[in-house]
Amino acid sequence: MNIEVYILPALILALLIYSFIKKIPTYTSFAEGAKAALKLCADVFPYIAAIFICVQLFKASGLSKWLSEALAPVFNLMGIPPELCELILIRPFSGNASLALLSEIYKTYGADSYVARCGSAIVGSSDTIFYITAVYFAGTKVKKFRYAIPVALLANLFSAILACLIVRFF
Amino acid sequence: MNKIWTIVSIASIAILMYIDPDNVLAHMNNAAAGTVSLMIRLLPLYAVWMGMMGIAERSGLTEKLARLLKPFIKFLFGEVDEKTSRYLSVNMSANILGIGSAATPAGISAITCMDRGGEVATDAMIMLTVINSVGIQLIPPTTIISLRQAFGSAAPFDIIIPTLVATVIPFIFAVMAVKILQAKVKR
Repeated sequence: MNIEVYILPALILALLIYSFIKKIPTYTSFAEGAKAALKLCADVFPYIAAIFICVQLFKASGLSKWLSEALAPVFNLMGIPPELCELILIRPFSGNASLALLSEIYKTYGADSYVARCGSAIVGSSDTIFYITAVYFAGTKVKKFRYAIPVALLANLFSAILACLIVRFF
Repeated sequence: MNKIWTIVSIASIAILMYIDPDNVLAHMNNAAAGTVSLMIRLLPLYAVWMGMMGIAERSGLTEKLARLLKPFIKFLFGEVDEKTSRYLSVNMSANILGIGSAATPAGISAITCMDRGGEVATDAMIMLTVINSVGIQLIPPTTIISLRQAFGSAAPFDIIIPTLVATVIPFIFAVMAVKILQAKVKR
């Protein structure tokens, strides 16, 4: 069943064999590439810290719960169960926080419940918009993202609606 | 970004000062500590994939990939220089394969290549951000499947098709929305 465990190792193996045949200095090339990883993490760290602090405060203050309760009727109208509102609110900010919420949903409602399956599809089909925007632009002076965030948020909301709709048929 | 951050932080801190003033700073410190441990977890992944990227770059494979994906890159991002298109094609391929830790460094390199020091994001930068934020993974999300398995799901794979549909259709919607907005803003 698990073919996908072979995909990445096979990819790396193919890359190394190809490079060996082409007589590329693989060892030094690897080191040169990997050298930038440390700088990347250093560049990105302050932005992620800022987002995580904000999310933590948002959750700890109960504001996220309150806001999701307030938004529940709106989501309900779009076919999204109210249990998933907080997940949808947190999803754009942090992957870890949304996986933690998803585990809670599994625990509370069971991993095979409708809510849990919707939640899985929502997390699987979306990504952390604010996190990605922060990380991608960390090394630049860009401050104005224009319509990037609204379009991405809208697309993810659309994806959540679709997920809740389609899960009913599987 | 600045506005959202400020408003959410002010509101949350104000509420916390009322309900739980002892722990306001503890929450902030915990979040920062969480960031450190995330970075410690990401650093090795980035090192591995960026190292492999270094080899792929040197062996000319990324160039081949870029040539292969040229029609898509051109449709999505317009005219970009050769180096940028190499990073873009690695970013897209890694996304499709679901290797987030390889997609991120490639995406950042692409943005850095496109950057001319301006304060406003270009059309191509926005397209890249939106595509990555929407997620275009075509390989089943293994993290979620194994999480469901861990919680005793009888059929952890039944979310694959809904996830795929909820990925592909919004992706097309997002790309079209960005294209339309680009055309509108132009004149």
